[in-house]
Amino acid sequence: MDFLDKVYKKSDSIVFRKIADEFILVPIRQNVGDLESICTLNDVAARIWELIDGKRKVREIKDKIVEEFEVAPEEAEKDLMEYLQQLEGIEAIIEG
Amino acid sequence: MECPHIPSISYAQFSERLHKQVIAQRIPIQGSLELTFRCNLRCVHCYCNLPLNNRDVISKELKTGEIFNIFDQIAEAGCLWLLLTGGEPLVRKDFLEIYAYAKKKGFLISLFTNGTLITPKIADYLAESPPSEVEITLYGVTKETYEKVTGIPGSFKRCQKGIELLLARKIPLRLKTMAMTLNLNELSNIKEYAEDLGVKFRYDPELNPRLDHSKTPCNFRLSPEEVVKLDLADEKRVKEWREFCEKFLGPPQSNNLYLCGAGVSLFHIDPYGQLSVCMMSRYQNYDLQHGSFHKGWSNFFPQFIAQKPKSDYKCGQCGFIALCSQCPGWAWVENGDLETPVEYLCQITHLRAEAFNIKKL
Repeated sequence: MDFLDKVYKKSDSIVFRKIADEFILVPIRQNVGDLESICTLNDVAARIWELIDGKRKVREIKDKIVEEFEVAPEEAEKDLMEYLQQLEGIEAIIEG
Repeated sequence: MECPHIPSISYAQFSERLHKQVIAQRIPIQGSLELTFRCNLRCVHCYCNLPLNNRDVISKELKTGEIFNIFDQIAEAGCLWLLLTGGEPLVRKDFLEIYAYAKKKGFLISLFTNGTLITPKIADYLAESPPSEVEITLYGVTKETYEKVTGIPGSFKRCQKGIELLLARKIPLRLKTMAMTLNLNELSNIKEYAEDLGVKFRYDPELNPRLDHSKTPCNFRLSPEEVVKLDLADEKRVKEWREFCEKFLGPPQSNNLYLCGAGVSLFHIDPYGQLSVCMMSRYQNYDLQHGSFHKGWSNFFPQFIAQKPKSDYKCGQCGFIALCSQCPGWAWVENGDLETPVEYLCQITHLRAEAFNIKKL
């Protein structure tokens, strides 16, 4: 399946928090938690996280990002792919 | 966490950056909740413990659903670091339910426990869904010393078992102790024990009276001379004190009675839903059973922390105040008013300053 046609949903192993001006991913499950480092998201990454809802295709998320931020479609697609793979790697999102 | 593309910064950097923001915006980033005052031990120095099966006490405690509701509210308000403590939090039969809910809300959780009630089931759960840290208080490395403090036969063995259960599952653990007359001779052994296990260790030599103002815990205080002698025996502690003094020494920068983060970024909630600015200052609380956390934080706290001293507040002019544990909350439990200096703390501070050759600014 084309990457852009994939649909992701958030897993229940991580919680997204917005505190002050920070976007933070707080792990719930084993192996994800590590007191030495913590994941903070920039504005674009936080917006992508919001857009992941188990319904939107990656293509639709990409289009939203291109529309809302100053970024070329090719660059958005490349970054989005890397970012989603990383989120999948830490079990923050799953396909489906 | 392996997420190189997601900006990942060191925990310390993150914490510092966030703390600056939350102080400026007055966000309740750090809270503590006493799940109960009840405890299965009867430690001689404890400031809050109540009998394990006291029905009146149990009936007054927040119910599971009420705690969930408070968690919803404090998460919404921006709480990230949450301490679950007691009494002994594990005496509550719904502890795991409460813990699981707190994890789901996305708090970074510290758990203070005496360790004696940790079962394989609880340890397995904590391993699957780990806290940031568990702190177990270890009062001695021998049964005699430990149980002289706790008053419960068999508790030493159960505490050791609890430590083993956590270590076997690699759950982040720190050992700590209160240094007092009953265990002073074993303090260095407790530290060595922790080091041998490869876990962090800290001790606190300053006992405070009970919340009901009973001075019984004070009977077990080390003398100020003994406290400072302990400081001097620990090179790392001396270095940390010196660095701290270089940064913070000098008279207070504010004429408020409260000079710390209490009510600015910190809050505390007791087992009955009483919200206070910190663990020590409980003479005026906001009742969360009859009002929202938001109202308590936004309407009640600002007036509370803006209090000015009513008298000639000696500690408010002291250049050593940053070196001292004196605060209105401690003065209240010790002296029954907010401004009378706690003589014991004052003596420790001045001895410390003399020992470290620190001059008043």
